[in-house]
Amino acid sequence: MIADARSAETAEDLTGDAELIRRSQDAPDVFAAVFDRHAPELHRYVTRRLGDSLADDVVADTFLAAFRRRGHYDVTRPDARPWLYGIAANLIGRHRRAEVRSYRAMARTGVDVVAESYTERVDAEVSASAAHRDLAVALAGLSAGDRDVLLLIAWADLTYDEVAHALGIPVGTVRSRLHRARKRTRAALGGVDPTAFDEEQDRG
Amino acid sequence: MDDLKTLRELRADAPLPDAGRLSATRARFMSEGPEAGRFSAARAAAGPRGRGLRAFPRPLLLAAAFAAVAALVAVFAHPGQTGGAPPSAAGRYAGTAVTLERAALVAGSRSTSPTPRPDQWQYSRSMDKQANGPDAGRVQEEWIRYDGKRAAVFGDDGRLRISKVPPDPGDDDLSPQRYAERLRKLPTDPAKLLARVSADLHWINLPVETAGGTAGAEDADARAFRVLSVYLGQQAVMPPKLEAAIYRALARIPGVRIELDVQDGSGRKGLGVFRDTGPVTRRYVILEPGTFRYLGTRMVWLRGEEINGEIAFRAGSVWTVTELASGIVDRAGDRP
Repeated sequence: MIADARSAETAEDLTGDAELIRRSQDAPDVFAAVFDRHAPELHRYVTRRLGDSLADDVVADTFLAAFRRRGHYDVTRPDARPWLYGIAANLIGRHRRAEVRSYRAMARTGVDVVAESYTERVDAEVSASAAHRDLAVALAGLSAGDRDVLLLIAWADLTYDEVAHALGIPVGTVRSRLHRARKRTRAALGGVDPTAFDEEQDRG
Repeated sequence: MDDLKTLRELRADAPLPDAGRLSATRARFMSEGPEAGRFSAARAAAGPRGRGLRAFPRPLLLAAAFAAVAALVAVFAHPGQTGGAPPSAAGRYAGTAVTLERAALVAGSRSTSPTPRPDQWQYSRSMDKQANGPDAGRVQEEWIRYDGKRAAVFGDDGRLRISKVPPDPGDDDLSPQRYAERLRKLPTDPAKLLARVSADLHWINLPVETAGGTAGAEDADARAFRVLSVYLGQQAVMPPKLEAAIYRALARIPGVRIELDVQDGSGRKGLGVFRDTGPVTRRYVILEPGTFRYLGTRMVWLRGEEINGEIAFRAGSVWTVTELASGIVDRAGDRP
C-alpha cells in the first residue's frame, strides 16, 4: 500500500499508458497524464521536423485526435508512444511541402530554417555541415512514407515493431522502406555501405 | 560514414520544451479535449465505452400538436424490481411499450429536414454537468462543418478557433454528413434494426475491433441500448422512419423502462428512457414529453464506484449532457 503524501502522483507515474487510457474512457481528465508523459518528446520531434512555429499546434492536434479515438487504443500495448507518433505522422504529413522546402533550402544554401526557428542566437546564422547538406538532399527526395520510417527510427528512436504499429504497416514494409531510404542517404553521403546490397529486398 | 549516425546528429539540438512552453498547448488540449462536453461526458453518458453523442435537436415545431399525446401516457407505480437504489425514491414510471409506441408514431410523422450543403455548419450549444465537477455545468458552443473538414469553437480569448482535425472516420466521431449516410443505411424494421445494432462491430470498442469481443465486452442488450442512444442523438440527420424504428427497437430490449419527470441538466423535465448498466450506473436518454425530441442524456450512479481504490463517484452522482440549441448556419461563429 502506498501511504506517503505523493501517493497519487507516484501511482500515476507507475501506471502504464494503456491503463491511463482505459481509465480515461470514464474519467476523461486522466488523459492529462498521457499528455504530460509524452508531449515534451513529441514536441521536440515535431520541432525537429517542421520547426518551432508549427510544433504547438501539431502537438495539441495530435493529443486531441488521440483523445477522441482513445476508445480504439489497443490496451495490450502498454506504451502509447507508437500510437501517438503515428497520429502525429499524419498531421506532420499535412506540412509536407514546407518540410521538403526546408531540406531543399538547406541543401542549396546551407541555411537550416528549421534549426533557426528554435535557436535563440539571432546573431549567428545556423549553417549546416557539408554532410548535413548532403543528407538534406536525400531527405528532400524521399517519399513521405519512407521519410516517416527513417525519421521515426533515427529521431524518435522507435523500434521496427513500433514504427510498424505507428504507421499501421507490416514490419516487413518498415524494413523495406528503411532499406530504400538508407540507400538514398548513403548515396548522398558519398559512401556506399556494401552490406546494403546484401539485405533481402522485401517490398511490402 | 554511418548515415544513421549523421542523421541523428542533424538538428540534434532541437530543444525539449519546458513546462512553461507547453502550458498553453496543454490548456488548449484540455479545454478542447477532456474538458469539452462533447468528447467526455457525452461519451461516458453513452456507455461504458461511450461514443460521441453529437446531437442537434430541430426546432420543437410539433410541441403543441403533440402535447395532447403526452397527457395520455400511462403512469404506473414502480415496484423497484430493477435492483439497486432507485435514483429518486418517488420515481414515477410509464409503460414502456405504450410510451415508446407513441414516440414511434410521433417521430414517424415528422417532416424530413432539407440536406445541408457540405460547406454549411452545424451549430450546437450544449451543457455538460460532470458528476464530480462544478455544479453550474459547462456550456459549450461548437460548430462542425457538414462535411466534417472543419470544426470551430470560441477560445478563452474570445477568438473563433477553426480546427482542421477532421472527425476520425475509423472512429464513431463522424461528420454530420457521414452520420447521415450511416443512418440512411440502417434498417427501419425494428427487429432487423435491433439485430443490426446488437452486432454492430463499429461500436464494439474494446481494445480493438474484433468480431469475438474481449474481456469486459458488453452484452448484446447493453450494446443495443447504447448504440441506439447514440443514434438518437443525431437528430439533425435523423430520417423520421428510422427514429420511429429506434423507439420500437428500444421497447424490445430487456431492461429498458421509462421514468417520468426526469430532469435534464438545464432543469427541463422529460421522459427518461433508461436501462441499468450493471449494478453501478443507470443511463437515461431524456425526451421531451409530447414531441419526444431528444433533450440529452443523464447518468446516475446507483452505488459508489471506485477506480484504483479511490472513490471516483459517490452513489447518487449525476452526470448530464444537455442539448440547449442547434441549427444549420452558413458560417462558423454564426448562431441560428
